[in-house]
Amino acid sequence: MNPATLIPTPDAIPVPWGWFYVLLMLTFLLHILVMNAMLGGGIISLISALRGGEQNILLGKEFSYKWPYTIAFAVNMGVAPLLFVQVLYGQFIYSSSILMAVWWFSIIGLLILAYYAAYLYDFKFDALGGLRIFVLEFAVLIMLLIAFFFTNNMTLMLQPDQWQAYFSNASGTLLNFSDPSLIPRYFHFVVGAVAVAGLYLALIGQFRFTKSKVDREALIDKGMRYFTVASGIQILLGIWFLLALPKEIMMLFMGRSGYGTILLLLGLILAGVALYFGYKKQVVNASIATLVLLTVMILMRDLVRIAYLEPYFKVADLTVRPEYSPMIFFLVVFVAGLALIAYMLKLAFGCRKEVTK
Amino acid sequence: MNYPVWNLTTFGGGFLIAFVAVVHVLVSHFAVGGGAYLVMLEKKAYRDENLKLLDYVKKHSKFFLLLTMVFGGLTGVGIWWTIALLNPAATSSLIHIFVFGWAAEWVFFVGEIVALFIYFYTFGKMDRKNHIIIGWIYFFCAWMSLFLINGIIDFMLTPGAWIENQNFWSGFFNPTFWPSLVFRTGLSLVLCGVFGFVTAAFLKDEKLRHSIMRTCAAWVAIPFVLMLIGGWWYSIALPEGPKAMMMGKSPEMGIYLQTLLWFLPLLFIASMVMAIRLPQSFQKGFCFAVVAIALIYFGAFEFIREGSRRPFIIYDHMYSNQVYVKDVPEVQKAGFLPTAKWTQHKEITDENLIDAGRDLFKFQCSACHSVNGPLNNIVPIVQKYDNVFGMDAMLNGLGKINDYMPHFMGTREERWALANYIVHGPDIRSTKEITPQHVAHETPAH
Ligand code: HEC
Repeated sequence: MNPATLIPTPDAIPVPWGWFYVLLMLTFLLHILVMNAMLGGGIISLISALRGGEQNILLGKEFSYKWPYTIAFAVNMGVAPLLFVQVLYGQFIYSSSILMAVWWFSIIGLLILAYYAAYLYDFKFDALGGLRIFVLEFAVLIMLLIAFFFTNNMTLMLQPDQWQAYFSNASGTLLNFSDPSLIPRYFHFVVGAVAVAGLYLALIGQFRFTKSKVDREALIDKGMRYFTVASGIQILLGIWFLLALPKEIMMLFMGRSGYGTILLLLGLILAGVALYFGYKKQVVNASIATLVLLTVMILMRDLVRIAYLEPYFKVADLTVRPEYSPMIFFLVVFVAGLALIAYMLKLAFGCRKEVTK
Repeated sequence: MNYPVWNLTTFGGGFLIAFVAVVHVLVSHFAVGGGAYLVMLEKKAYRDENLKLLDYVKKHSKFFLLLTMVFGGLTGVGIWWTIALLNPAATSSLIHIFVFGWAAEWVFFVGEIVALFIYFYTFGKMDRKNHIIIGWIYFFCAWMSLFLINGIIDFMLTPGAWIENQNFWSGFFNPTFWPSLVFRTGLSLVLCGVFGFVTAAFLKDEKLRHSIMRTCAAWVAIPFVLMLIGGWWYSIALPEGPKAMMMGKSPEMGIYLQTLLWFLPLLFIASMVMAIRLPQSFQKGFCFAVVAIALIYFGAFEFIREGSRRPFIIYDHMYSNQVYVKDVPEVQKAGFLPTAKWTQHKEITDENLIDAGRDLFKFQCSACHSVNGPLNNIVPIVQKYDNVFGMDAMLNGLGKINDYMPHFMGTREERWALANYIVHGPDIRSTKEITPQHVAHETPAH
């Protein structure tokens, strides 16, 4: 059976695809940043808790204050790219989601559990005592599981040739294990999260956002250590991931496409730069390098998606039924929203120093 | 037609979405009104210099944060998750038509979260005036979320002029937009009172408890009027088709209507009981009864609203079984099985009669009928058809008398296959023995 016959007919879009593409890349970058702080921060807290020691415990406590809102924003920032990916690739992602519907559906329940566990970890950090580590393990394991489901869906949506499995199992319990890039891709995301979360903790120390009694220097030091070690591993995982991709797609980054090759070279150079700054414990420089690096990685990831779907679909194929006024409305709301948030943050930071009645 | 269908059998017939939606709508409406409730009480506490009341507001804001942000926020994402699994074609339509409506809603969602975190974490630390401003910003963002989602939800029932002109704004400001907005705004304020009972019931200070109980009762009573006006206006604004469906043309609607009519006054009375000076032990239990009543009342409303859309998922645009209205003539001519992308059996033969019928059931009926599940179970309602001819005739008439269902879509052979599956298929007729002769015995009448 020709897999292309299974691909649903897409709906028309109101403005040219480029708009959605930019919005998708931008909001996905935001999501990845916060998601990494959430997941990686949980993992680092867990490692610290297992190792013990005063500063390690305080690190866990410091992160406990931050965890609930990193979760809130990771979810919140995830909604937008999920919206835009449905606009551009709905026919693929809806189909793959249904093939793994049981797992995909379970994410909501799992996330609610992890979220409440994180609040428990935060509000009852001291009261929990010895149980604390179990709560932490529980939440981190759930998040790792959710990440695994995401990796499955994000790869399954790209492989209509795997979709025929539906005809022997329509109950929504499929996963994409037959894809050799699944495991390296998953680890690439998880270890990347640890690296970014290390930076996040170091930034908290650097800019005096600490709330617990953790020693700022120690926090920066530990954060940067996690960052450097994880980034080092990340380079190896990245190579594994690249080699696990189908050959034609891998070759895009090794000469077949000028754009792809430049992205890979840039990625390698930036990783080297970030590692150097990490090693030197220069928090701000390392963060800037990492931000650029993540942008490059996201563009690479997108190139992989385009390449996988190339035999079937290009976003330029989508019918455009032009209607601009809703977009203008959105952009106005977006700018006004940013202003409103800036205003609220100003009020919030204004009161950090002042003592009011 | 276009998408695979998740084979749910027991939990089919819309069970999952009903499950997620009913809990979500209650909390999400509370999330809107609750903002106003917090700010108004906070202001009152400042005005009267009532520190105990202020302390209560702070505690309530924690409850509010944990309930609305975590549970409300995630089940909201959950609804979207669920409809994409159950009805991807309709989801895709809504996403593509209203993408910038959703995107704007997302901006308010961000604003809501930022405001609520700031409100909660700076309680008692921020300048009073500014803290109140943050509270109002929260309420504004939450209400704007309601405003935007309301347009998209109502569009599904009453797309209005959009059907002709496909214009975003016609679809958004559709015929039930305003009445529904009034109704939902009223309801969201009523729910603040309802949830306020819960936090107030656990206050130790007796005087404070009774005073807050009375405030909450007022929060139920006054917006109740708004809610009733909205509901009444809504029922007037409904076009004939959905109205007839709502008024009981669809048989299972009766029970939801009954529930609604009983629980609406019950909610009011129960809330007024909370205002009476009663022992705390009673109030601690009874406050949850009030929440349960509100849940049942609002659940019934949502069921009715969903049910009155039948046989469509987007009125006059797409049927519940994900077939576009405009595609129907083509499907009737060419057949359902060959036109739908994810059917396994493209042609009907003597051997695959039952399996092809199963495919047809999955794609055309399972959206509304479970197989041995809690919602709209197909098994008992087809017991009376004990031969394929009777079933086939019933399917021929499907959607004509009982127009809460789409008519059967496909060729006569396909209809015959479906009738065979329902009468002889092992899933639905598990009790009846099926032998190959039994099946072969009845041949299509063409
Ligand atoms: C839009 C939702 C919807 C779809 C799709 C749907 N039904 Fe129904 N069906 C209903 C409702 C609602 C009832 C009424 C249930 C009751 O009586 O409690 C019903 C009742 C029935 C009945 C009993 C009717 C009677 O008068 O005794 C049969 C038989 C039936 N459906 C078969 C089917 C078949 C076969 C399909 C697929 C071709 C189908 N339905 C598709 C909603 C639907």
